[in-house]
Amino acid sequence: MSARVGTQVGSRTARRPRATAESSSAGGGAFGWLDEFAGMMILTGQTFVMTFKPPYSWFPEFLEQSWLVTKRAFLPCMFCTLVFSWGAPGISGGSIVATLGTPDRLGSFSIMASVRELSTWINGMCVAGIAGTAICADLGARKIREELDALAVLGTDLVKTLIVPRFLALGLMTVIFNYWNTAISIIGQMFADMMVWHQTAAGFIMTFASNFSIAEIAFNFLKVLSFGFIVAIVCCYKGMNARGGAAGVGRAVNQAVVIAFCLIYVYNYLINAILLAAFPETAQLH
Amino acid sequence: MEASTLTTPYRRAQEPEASPGTLERIANGFVDPVRNLLVEAGEMGAFSFRCFLEIRGVWRYTAELLRQVGILIIGSALVLLSMQFTFGLTCGNEATYVMRGYGASSYEGVFTAICPIREATPFMFAYMVGAKIGCGYVAEIGSMRINEEIDAMESLGINPMRYICSTRLIANLLISFPIFFLGMLVFFCGEMFVILVQIKEVSFATWSSVHWNFLDLPSFFYSYTKTVIMWLAIVMCAMYYGYRARGGPVGVGAATARSMVAALCLTMVVNEGFTYFFWGVNPHLPVGG
Repeated sequence: MSARVGTQVGSRTARRPRATAESSSAGGGAFGWLDEFAGMMILTGQTFVMTFKPPYSWFPEFLEQSWLVTKRAFLPCMFCTLVFSWGAPGISGGSIVATLGTPDRLGSFSIMASVRELSTWINGMCVAGIAGTAICADLGARKIREELDALAVLGTDLVKTLIVPRFLALGLMTVIFNYWNTAISIIGQMFADMMVWHQTAAGFIMTFASNFSIAEIAFNFLKVLSFGFIVAIVCCYKGMNARGGAAGVGRAVNQAVVIAFCLIYVYNYLINAILLAAFPETAQLH
Repeated sequence: MEASTLTTPYRRAQEPEASPGTLERIANGFVDPVRNLLVEAGEMGAFSFRCFLEIRGVWRYTAELLRQVGILIIGSALVLLSMQFTFGLTCGNEATYVMRGYGASSYEGVFTAICPIREATPFMFAYMVGAKIGCGYVAEIGSMRINEEIDAMESLGINPMRYICSTRLIANLLISFPIFFLGMLVFFCGEMFVILVQIKEVSFATWSSVHWNFLDLPSFFYSYTKTVIMWLAIVMCAMYYGYRARGGPVGVGAATARSMVAALCLTMVVNEGFTYFFWGVNPHLPVGG
């Protein structure tokens, strides 16, 4: 059932009256997750098609959403990154490196820690947890108040007016956040290296710079772009399929966050395994 | 409706209000966010304190307490454990490649021992508890508040703080140790899968001798302390936002989103503060004598 509701979001079927949505069972049985997965895939396809279809009426909304995402998530994201990179790779990672006798080479450790792992998933989680939940709650509340149905009846293409701008805004903003994020996490580790381990900034920067390769940057970019898209699709899908009053909106937001977090971690592991296996030179120390 | 939880703000006698000047408006722009943050933190603290005070009467509702434990085991344990496994895979992966870079592949156990104990497990638990349990509580308690179930409870003579919040708090406390312990085991399974099955760079004996030597019992309990403090703080924060939700479905959604911000930032500060507090710059690692 959920899959059909998902497809109803699209342009061709959006105008059908949706009386059956309320009467269906909430979980969808043992294969409910399969339904949802299919619905999300269909929504992704529709979003891609609608992005490139000529009247680009999504652009003003896209700017607005980008600003909203920035306003909500930028400062918490940077704060989290700074604190975590000071603690986890800086102090605990520094312990490992100091055990091996080279705390001056924390810079090369921070390639692994911040560029490859930490800054990307903190970015993804902050965007999912702050901007994604807000988007999901917004769409879910509109769905509950039947505003989305009203829009569909008026002939508005829901995917183009609502989903495409959020999809692109989250994708763009995750990538832009990522560069800030990476820089700030490096600064956090450098502070830890200088203040806690009493090493020089020059050593940190030298070892960092000599190990920073183009493959890391490319995969970093790819990863966060996908994080943004994953968050956007999960949150929009869950929000647009919310049902059951105030409790339903809350449940939708909860499920959206959990699914987004799980997908972010699994995807992160998979793409890092690919990066490390495909470019073994990224694991070498220079 | 919410007379029992809100007090009327004190208002001074009417003065002719001049519109604030430019300078004052700019100053307010800087002061207001800080003041709002402090007010919210204070309210949250008061709420938490009340919730802790009500624990003394919670045993009257043992049935509800056990029901909450059951819900947590059925609903949240699997997600937490599977995310622990995924993080274990990530950690094992990085351990292999980082230690290969330093030319110390046989010391992969150092990384795989420190990573879960000091950072990854508390971090992962805090985030997933914030997402799964915390958001769920906001949604649940928030919709109770919107549907005026909490007020109904109050008028029936049931103390809602005790029946709703304290039972959940104790349920989380009860469940935290078993899930933490299992989560740690599952994390090690993830690392073992990558290191011993997928990449197979070191032998089982090499890895396990270093790994188990570097895990000490105090670290394990420090790690649990970190986890459980963050866990309870996040649950408390989530219940606060749920309890204070207003404004229909939009309000519940907004409260859920706001609780995530608080959970994310709180997690980071508490996690890293405790890392520094417990382990500091003394690695406690017996390499090379």
